Amino acid sequence: MNAILECKGLTKSFGSKKALSDVNLTIERGQIVGLLGPNGSGKTTLIKLANALLTPTSGEIRIAGMKPGIDTKKIVSYLPERNYLNDWMRVHDIIGLFRDFYVDFKPEKAYDMLKRLNINAGDKLKTMSKGTKEKVQLILVMSREAELYLLDEPIGGVDPAARDYILETIISNYNPNATVIISTHLIADVEKVLDHAIFIRDGQVVLSSSVDAIREQGKSVDGLFREVFRC
Amino acid sequence: MLGKLLKYELKATGRTLLPIYAALLISAAVTKFISLFSGSGDNIPTFISAFLYILILVGMFVMTFVVMIQRFNRNLLSDEGYLMFTLPVETWKHIVSKLLIAIFWNVASFVVTFASIIVMTYDEIFVEGLWPQIARGLTELALVLGPDSCLVILEIILGSIACMVFGTLIIYASIALGHLSNRHRTMASLGAFLGLTAFAQILFACLTLIPNVRVLQHYMDTLQESLQTSIALFHYVMWFTIGFFAFLSVGYFLITNHILSKRLNLE
Repeated sequence: MNAILECKGLTKSFGSKKALSDVNLTIERGQIVGLLGPNGSGKTTLIKLANALLTPTSGEIRIAGMKPGIDTKKIVSYLPERNYLNDWMRVHDIIGLFRDFYVDFKPEKAYDMLKRLNINAGDKLKTMSKGTKEKVQLILVMSREAELYLLDEPIGGVDPAARDYILETIISNYNPNATVIISTHLIADVEKVLDHAIFIRDGQVVLSSSVDAIREQGKSVDGLFREVFRC
Repeated sequence: MLGKLLKYELKATGRTLLPIYAALLISAAVTKFISLFSGSGDNIPTFISAFLYILILVGMFVMTFVVMIQRFNRNLLSDEGYLMFTLPVETWKHIVSKLLIAIFWNVASFVVTFASIIVMTYDEIFVEGLWPQIARGLTELALVLGPDSCLVILEIILGSIACMVFGTLIIYASIALGHLSNRHRTMASLGAFLGLTAFAQILFACLTLIPNVRVLQHYMDTLQESLQTSIALFHYVMWFTIGFFAFLSVGYFLITNHILSKRLNLE
């Protein structure tokens, strides 16, 4: 089996500013990966490149051996860091949309999670708080049986209790062959679920290591992060 | 997948436009109702109601236009684009679905306008015998055009569609070109629109001035102002216009599709 995500000399510039600079990275299947770095380090840029929402300036990125396109979109479930839902829709409209377009979407899973989080499927998104909308998006994304989940700041905007539920949802909803990439700067919260950690700073990967290897050095991911990114 | 995109596009746009259509028809009916009962005396209520009708009518066409731009710009190139462009759908299908629905609402707006005029004038048309006159006029026109009537109708329909497709795609291409700029995308889109319009006009001028002068001369020389010349000239002008709009539409479509599939950079 080929790697689920591979970057070779991946560079993305916005005008004269380099958001990602010569990134070489291979992520194997079947693990939960933390893409960790401070704000503005290039995490979102990398994830958007993987979703073909941005075009690389140079280098290439491949998902399961394929360039981002219609075939990779079928196997990637993406949670952006912003709200992409039409305000005028109701939750069940959006569920219908996901069911229409994604073959791997399981509506019963989505309804089940909505129930557990006390979200009414008949509610309009317009009337929902920012945190509730984020939960709805995460539910949609995790109700797919994708090969790769790209979650950009999935716990940034919700309260700590919901954070635990969300992380639990992420772990319990993905199958062992799937890969989850979680981008965040809230490392202490996600540390316990991670198999692999990638540190990214100023558009460059400064570390890619299994969490076990970090622990063998007697450090926690959070501790190591504070060490590497000391201001 | 195109069918599904069309379904969602129709839903997303219908919620704005259908209430306006309803408002137009209601205001037409109210105008008619007031004018029937106000008689020849006090005309102010009729005037106000007719004024409202015209406001809604203008508003309807403005909104048809605004919705067309907004659906492309907001649904594809703002935050909603994060969802649309991660659906496993080819980019050209997004463009075609938006284009088809934009054309559909354009046509619908004209149909509703026509219906509202009938609502306001039904008694003149059906009761006071205007209808037979209209029918006679149409029959005479058909007689004049002879066997060409169907062709003329086809040309007018195709010409209108080509014109609408062209008008929509030039805006899509402008927005897409503006998207290439790193900042000031709206200004860049406006600039692109002026550029594309100028290009279309210059091309049209070149094409009409050079070869068409000879064609027109030919018509003038051979069949001096006869009816056949006029009809033949009409056909020529129509097909030329349809071809011109179709040619540029294909170009603008290709520009839009290339940028959205190969040069996409959502903020």
